[in-house]
Amino acid sequence: MPDNGPRADTVTLTIDGREVTVPRGTSLLHAAETQGTTVPHYCYHPGLSAPAQCRICLVEVEGAPKLQPSCVTMAEDGQVVHTDSPAARRMRQGVLEFYLVNHPLDCPICDMSGECKLQDYVFDEGREHGRGREPKRVFGRDDFGGDVLYYGDRCVMCTRCVRFMDEVARDSRLTVVERGSRAVIDTFFDSGLEGASFAGNVVDICPVGALVSKDFLHKARAWDLDHTPSVCTSCSQGCNIELHTRDNLVQRLMPRENQEVNGHWMCDYGRANYEWMNRPGRLEAPMAGRGGERRAVDWKTALEHLFVRLQGGTGDVMVVGSAEASNEGLAALGWVGEAVGTVSARVFRSPRADDEEPLPGYPLLVRRRDLAPNVDGAGLLGFERAGDDTGAGGLEAVAGHDGIVLVLGDGLADQDVRFGASAGLFVYLGSFDSPAARNADYVLPVTTFAEEEGSFVNAQGRVQRFWPGLRPPGSARPAWLVLGALAAALQGGRTPASAAEVFAGLEAGCAAFAGLSYDAIGESGVRLEAVHG
Amino acid sequence: MSEIQFRNPGWAGNTGEFDLTEADVRGTDYVGETQLDGGHPSVSASLPYMLVEKNPEAPLFEGPYQERFEKIRSRYPTARAALLPALNLAQELRGHISPATMDEVAELLGLSNAYVRGVATFYTMYNKRPVGRFLIQVCTNISCNICGADEVLAAFLEHTGTEPGETSSDGNFTVVEAECLAACGFPTCVQINSRYFEDVSAADVPAVLERLKSES
Repeated sequence: MPDNGPRADTVTLTIDGREVTVPRGTSLLHAAETQGTTVPHYCYHPGLSAPAQCRICLVEVEGAPKLQPSCVTMAEDGQVVHTDSPAARRMRQGVLEFYLVNHPLDCPICDMSGECKLQDYVFDEGREHGRGREPKRVFGRDDFGGDVLYYGDRCVMCTRCVRFMDEVARDSRLTVVERGSRAVIDTFFDSGLEGASFAGNVVDICPVGALVSKDFLHKARAWDLDHTPSVCTSCSQGCNIELHTRDNLVQRLMPRENQEVNGHWMCDYGRANYEWMNRPGRLEAPMAGRGGERRAVDWKTALEHLFVRLQGGTGDVMVVGSAEASNEGLAALGWVGEAVGTVSARVFRSPRADDEEPLPGYPLLVRRRDLAPNVDGAGLLGFERAGDDTGAGGLEAVAGHDGIVLVLGDGLADQDVRFGASAGLFVYLGSFDSPAARNADYVLPVTTFAEEEGSFVNAQGRVQRFWPGLRPPGSARPAWLVLGALAAALQGGRTPASAAEVFAGLEAGCAAFAGLSYDAIGESGVRLEAVHG
Repeated sequence: MSEIQFRNPGWAGNTGEFDLTEADVRGTDYVGETQLDGGHPSVSASLPYMLVEKNPEAPLFEGPYQERFEKIRSRYPTARAALLPALNLAQELRGHISPATMDEVAELLGLSNAYVRGVATFYTMYNKRPVGRFLIQVCTNISCNICGADEVLAAFLEHTGTEPGETSSDGNFTVVEAECLAACGFPTCVQINSRYFEDVSAADVPAVLERLKSES
């Protein structure tokens, strides 16, 4: 009698001689991944539908008459799968040979070289020599508009880009035009990808060098780039990204998978917004003295003198933070203010866009209105928003304050040279100098997020860490170190040696962060809600 | 003239064999090349020369053409499925599928214009450029090739004075090479508009062209 009872939620099968148990409905490709075998694939992408058209992920399933596409064949109980049997290998070699019939092998001038799946697979399993004698087709390149260039000769017709635009961006601008060996990816004639806000992702998902970024074109080789996990600072979504750096310069930003924040994607606005991290003309040494008396000093002198001045301060403190600053920097800024006296203003300013820009096929990902990474963190740490939606104004009281003024990370771009003129003590901590910092008694160079460790809280209330990918210029130091040292001296504690120590202090002092540790946040972040139930 | 016993054998033009007018043969319920009511769209390809006036500027779709378009739309569960016959109808009306036509059809069916371009360029039976009154497709696939298709193609090009894909100066003829027309038993096969000419040899070509000219 057939068993019509509820089926088990998991299936157990054998892949390459090893038993694997996976949830029902898992594809063979995924099941193989769980035991460490990557089956080659082009058309399959975890964030897209699987058309099973590239024919390179075929594996041998015992009992099946033909090789099966592992991306769409679901794991079944008792299946015996061979991903590396002679039949599977022979098939892959054959498929790869067909891919190379028209592929130009221009790896030396191709941006994808080093991260190209065709290069990898052919190197692993392809024939030593091609047998093709016919000339290869030549298409040249096509400018898709935006940041995207298309080299038709290199294309393997996996249609990932077409499906990304259809299913994720929901803006079906790409299609396969013509057929057979004449097939290319194109838009509707000259309409291009201009104005599509997430089109840059098609470059990331292209398994070969067919779609490349104009911005990154011939800029760096993949194997020269260092990858640092980080968080995008262009809006309060906080997409998980990687900084790809070379020669101490950020060369490009790439999304880093996080299914709870950005999936595999990021927006073009965030992707393009990195040149400022490489901008020269940074503050490189601490400086003391107002206006014309300003002179560079070493950190020891600057901090010792500042410590003395703070101790004898007037007691009424106004602090200006920034939604670009880390939780650690903002917390330490607060501690210094509170150690000196009464904090009568604790504000930050941050620009807001007119509207949000969601990614229709991945609704979690939205380019938020707040165009800074840590608006929510600043709020949780007691900073109030000031100013308007352009990130200007709102500092009238601070500009004319006669007590102590502490500014961290706000470039004061809209303020004039009288800012802080009447302050008893004006300390400016920033990465770039500002005309409005002219009256600062101390100008202290701090690092950008790309040069320091720290954490942000995104719009979902998710604490996410970032890591230093660049060496800071001159003697710029992380804000949490400078302010943490001052706070420790004023309060009689220990100077923090790491961002984790500052975070531990923050966790103890701020209820919103209670119960969190740096280790627990890890690379994928933690929602504050999840910590507090 | 006796009463016509059969329905819709198609209008082959006046071949001289029968004393019939187009209206006699096709009836009056035709619009363009396809029966307005009840006919299956696949029938259109079995009909003879497409001799209705093509107007590249004709609106999509008006009057009886709109009726046919709506019929097409109602026969298919999705807009994507209705795309091929919709493009057929547009080509019947305009003679070829221009970028503007693709855009309009996309708009009518609620598809992206890029997708329509992809479909239109995939199928060779959609003319992406204007063609002459008679589109002459010479099969050069295996059977025909063995039996002299290359000479037939050369003869058509010579007698029309064109290059492959080019339209003759009088606007009558466009000669193209075609893949197998599935008439391998009677090579060389030449498809002229919707009609097959079989057993064509290079020597037959001037006579065929003369006959076509008499139609136009």
